[in-house]
Amino acid sequence: MNLFRSEEHIARWLGGRQPGATIPAAKLAELAHAWWDDRISPGWVPHTRDQNQAILERLGLTGEFWQLA
Amino acid sequence: MDESDLELRRRTYAFFVEHGRAPAATELGDGEEVVAGWRRLHSAHALVLNPATDELRMLNPFSVVPTAYRVQAGGRWWYANCAWDAVGICAALHSDGRIETSCPDCGEALAVEIRDERVADESLVFHVLVPAAQWWDDIVFT
Repeated sequence: MNLFRSEEHIARWLGGRQPGATIPAAKLAELAHAWWDDRISPGWVPHTRDQNQAILERLGLTGEFWQLA
Repeated sequence: MDESDLELRRRTYAFFVEHGRAPAATELGDGEEVVAGWRRLHSAHALVLNPATDELRMLNPFSVVPTAYRVQAGGRWWYANCAWDAVGICAALHSDGRIETSCPDCGEALAVEIRDERVADESLVFHVLVPAAQWWDDIVFT
Protein backbone atom coordinates (compact mmCIF):
# COMPACT_ATOMS: atom_id res chain seq x y z
CA MET A 1 0.00 0.00 0.00
CA ASN A 2 2.16 2.79 -1.33
CA LEU A 3 2.10 6.40 -2.41
CA PHE A 4 3.36 7.20 -5.90
CA ARG A 5 4.02 10.38 -7.82
CA SER A 6 1.56 9.42 -10.56
CA GLU A 7 -0.24 6.51 -12.23
CA GLU A 8 2.61 6.35 -14.72
CA HIS A 9 4.97 5.57 -11.86
CA ILE A 10 2.64 2.84 -10.61
CA ALA A 11 2.57 1.19 -14.03
CA ARG A 12 6.35 1.25 -14.27
CA TRP A 13 6.75 -0.10 -10.73
CA LEU A 14 4.33 -2.95 -11.43
CA GLY A 15 6.26 -4.15 -14.45
CA GLY A 16 4.27 -7.14 -15.65
CA ARG A 17 2.41 -7.68 -12.40
CA GLN A 18 -1.35 -7.51 -12.15
CA PRO A 19 -2.38 -4.04 -10.91
CA GLY A 20 -4.43 -3.73 -7.77
CA ALA A 21 -6.51 -0.64 -7.05
CA THR A 22 -5.45 2.99 -7.39
CA ILE A 23 -7.16 5.86 -5.62
CA PRO A 24 -6.39 9.58 -5.39
CA ALA A 25 -4.58 10.94 -2.34
CA ALA A 26 -7.70 12.85 -1.33
CA LYS A 27 -9.63 9.59 -1.11
CA LEU A 28 -6.80 7.99 0.87
CA ALA A 29 -7.13 10.76 3.46
CA GLU A 30 -10.86 10.13 3.79
CA LEU A 31 -10.29 6.39 4.05
CA ALA A 32 -7.55 6.66 6.66
CA HIS A 33 -9.57 8.97 8.88
CA ALA A 34 -12.69 6.81 8.68
CA TRP A 35 -10.69 3.63 9.35
CA TRP A 36 -8.24 4.72 12.07
CA ASP A 37 -9.91 7.65 13.83
CA ASP A 38 -10.91 5.67 16.94
CA ARG A 39 -7.86 3.40 17.15
CA ILE A 40 -6.28 4.76 20.33
CA SER A 41 -9.42 6.00 22.04
CA PRO A 42 -9.95 4.37 25.46
CA GLY A 43 -13.35 3.06 24.43
CA TRP A 44 -12.12 1.33 21.29
CA VAL A 45 -13.68 -1.99 20.44
CA PRO A 46 -12.88 -3.99 17.31
CA HIS A 47 -14.70 -2.99 14.16
CA THR A 48 -16.79 -5.78 12.75
CA ARG A 49 -16.19 -6.89 9.20
CA ASP A 50 -19.52 -5.29 8.23
CA GLN A 51 -18.53 -1.98 9.81
CA ASN A 52 -15.27 -1.94 7.87
CA GLN A 53 -17.01 -2.95 4.65
CA ALA A 54 -19.48 -0.10 5.18
CA ILE A 55 -16.57 2.36 5.45
CA LEU A 56 -15.22 1.16 2.11
CA GLU A 57 -18.63 1.28 0.46
CA ARG A 58 -19.38 4.77 1.78
CA LEU A 59 -16.21 5.95 0.05
CA GLY A 60 -17.15 4.25 -3.20
CA LEU A 61 -14.60 1.46 -2.79
CA THR A 62 -16.79 -1.34 -4.07
CA GLY A 63 -16.40 -4.39 -6.26
CA GLU A 64 -14.65 -7.68 -5.76
CA PHE A 65 -11.24 -6.13 -5.04
CA TRP A 66 -12.56 -4.32 -1.95
CA GLN A 67 -14.53 -7.24 -0.47
CA LEU A 68 -13.10 -8.03 2.96
CA ALA A 69 -12.60 -11.60 4.13
CA MET B 1 -11.87 -10.67 22.58
CA ASP B 2 -12.79 -10.35 26.25
CA GLU B 3 -12.55 -7.29 28.49
CA SER B 4 -9.16 -8.27 29.93
CA ASP B 5 -7.65 -8.54 26.44
CA LEU B 6 -9.19 -5.19 25.47
CA GLU B 7 -7.65 -3.70 28.61
CA LEU B 8 -4.25 -5.17 27.75
CA ARG B 9 -4.54 -3.72 24.28
CA ARG B 10 -5.45 -0.30 25.70
CA ARG B 11 -2.42 -0.38 28.03
CA THR B 12 -0.14 -1.50 25.20
CA TYR B 13 -1.23 1.32 22.89
CA ALA B 14 -1.16 3.89 25.72
CA PHE B 15 2.43 2.90 26.57
CA PHE B 16 3.45 3.16 22.92
CA VAL B 17 1.91 6.59 22.42
CA GLU B 18 3.30 7.92 25.71
CA HIS B 19 6.85 6.62 25.31
CA GLY B 20 7.20 6.45 21.53
CA ARG B 21 8.36 2.85 21.73
CA ALA B 22 6.80 -0.55 22.27
CA PRO B 23 6.76 -2.00 25.76
CA ALA B 24 8.48 -5.23 26.68
CA ALA B 25 5.94 -7.69 28.01
CA THR B 26 7.34 -7.35 31.55
CA GLU B 27 6.72 -3.60 31.50
CA LEU B 28 2.98 -4.27 31.42
CA GLY B 29 2.74 -7.01 34.04
CA ASP B 30 3.53 -10.67 34.32
CA GLY B 31 5.51 -11.39 31.16
CA GLU B 32 3.96 -14.76 30.38
CA GLU B 33 0.41 -13.50 30.91
CA VAL B 34 1.04 -10.44 28.77
CA VAL B 35 2.50 -12.49 25.92
CA ALA B 36 -0.43 -14.89 26.10
CA GLY B 37 -2.79 -11.91 25.83
CA TRP B 38 -0.81 -10.42 22.95
CA ARG B 39 -1.06 -13.74 21.12
CA ARG B 40 -4.84 -13.69 21.46
CA LEU B 41 -4.92 -10.07 20.25
CA HIS B 42 -2.67 -11.04 17.34
CA SER B 43 -5.10 -13.81 16.38
CA ALA B 44 -7.95 -11.30 16.53
CA HIS B 45 -5.98 -8.86 14.30
CA ALA B 46 -5.94 -6.28 17.10
CA LEU B 47 -2.12 -6.03 16.95
CA VAL B 48 0.67 -7.90 15.18
CA LEU B 49 3.44 -9.89 16.85
CA ASN B 50 6.68 -11.13 15.42
CA PRO B 51 5.82 -14.84 15.64
CA ALA B 52 9.47 -15.81 16.05
CA THR B 53 10.06 -13.65 19.11
CA ASP B 54 6.61 -12.70 20.50
CA GLU B 55 7.71 -9.07 20.32
CA LEU B 56 5.32 -6.44 19.02
CA ARG B 57 5.66 -5.79 15.29
CA MET B 58 2.66 -3.54 14.53
CA LEU B 59 0.26 -1.56 16.66
CA ASN B 60 -1.74 -0.60 13.63
CA PRO B 61 -1.53 2.01 12.21
CA PHE B 62 1.85 2.39 13.96
CA SER B 63 4.83 0.24 13.08
CA VAL B 64 7.03 -0.76 15.99
CA VAL B 65 10.01 -1.21 13.66
CA PRO B 66 11.51 1.24 11.13
CA THR B 67 9.81 1.38 7.74
CA ALA B 68 9.82 3.49 4.59
CA TYR B 69 7.04 5.69 6.03
CA ARG B 70 8.08 8.22 8.68
CA VAL B 71 5.35 10.36 10.19
CA GLN B 72 5.63 13.47 12.33
CA ALA B 73 2.45 13.96 14.36
CA GLY B 74 1.50 14.79 17.90
CA GLY B 75 4.96 16.15 18.68
CA ARG B 76 6.87 12.99 17.79
CA TRP B 77 8.19 10.98 14.84
CA TRP B 78 6.64 7.56 14.18
CA TYR B 79 6.91 4.80 11.65
CA ALA B 80 3.87 3.59 9.70
CA ASN B 81 3.31 0.22 8.05
CA CYS B 82 2.21 1.73 4.72
CA ALA B 83 0.79 4.90 3.19
CA TRP B 84 -2.71 4.18 4.49
CA ASP B 85 -1.35 3.76 8.00
CA ALA B 86 0.84 6.85 7.66
CA VAL B 87 -2.25 9.02 7.21
CA GLY B 88 -3.91 6.81 9.81
CA ILE B 89 -1.40 7.85 12.46
CA CYS B 90 -2.53 11.47 12.02
CA ALA B 91 -6.13 10.25 12.20
CA ALA B 92 -5.56 8.18 15.35
CA LEU B 93 -3.72 11.04 17.09
CA HIS B 94 -6.27 13.59 15.80
CA SER B 95 -3.36 15.66 14.61
CA ASP B 96 -2.01 17.35 11.53
CA GLY B 97 1.25 15.82 10.42
CA ARG B 98 3.96 15.30 7.88
CA ILE B 99 4.75 12.05 6.09
CA GLU B 100 8.20 11.43 4.64
CA THR B 101 8.71 8.58 2.21
CA SER B 102 9.79 8.05 -1.40
CA CYS B 103 8.08 7.00 -4.61
CA PRO B 104 8.64 3.22 -4.86
CA ASP B 105 9.16 3.57 -8.62
CA CYS B 106 11.66 6.41 -9.02
CA GLY B 107 12.88 6.82 -5.45
CA GLU B 108 12.20 10.54 -5.39
CA ALA B 109 11.57 11.81 -1.88
CA LEU B 110 7.95 12.60 -1.08
CA ALA B 111 7.01 14.89 1.81
CA VAL B 112 3.28 14.91 2.38
CA GLU B 113 1.59 17.40 4.67
CA ILE B 114 -1.67 16.40 6.36
CA ARG B 115 -3.76 19.41 7.31
CA ASP B 116 -7.33 19.32 8.58
CA GLU B 117 -7.64 15.65 7.60
CA ARG B 118 -6.60 16.35 4.01
CA VAL B 119 -3.50 15.55 1.98
CA ALA B 120 -1.97 18.83 0.87
CA ASP B 121 -0.53 17.42 -2.38
CA GLU B 122 -3.52 15.84 -4.09
CA SER B 123 -1.54 15.01 -7.22
CA LEU B 124 -0.20 11.89 -5.48
CA VAL B 125 -1.87 8.51 -5.96
CA PHE B 126 -2.26 5.54 -3.65
CA HIS B 127 -1.97 1.98 -4.90
CA VAL B 128 -3.19 -1.17 -3.14
CA LEU B 129 -1.64 -4.28 -4.65
CA VAL B 130 -3.36 -7.00 -2.60
CA PRO B 131 -7.16 -7.55 -2.75
CA ALA B 132 -8.96 -6.83 0.54
CA ALA B 133 -9.91 -10.45 1.16
CA GLN B 134 -6.19 -11.32 1.33
CA TRP B 135 -4.88 -8.43 3.43
CA TRP B 136 -4.45 -10.54 6.57
CA ASP B 137 -2.95 -13.55 4.76
CA ASP B 138 0.41 -11.78 5.10
CA ILE B 139 -0.15 -8.42 6.75
CA VAL B 140 3.51 -7.43 6.65
CA PHE B 141 3.59 -7.86 2.84
CA THR B 142 0.19 -6.17 2.45
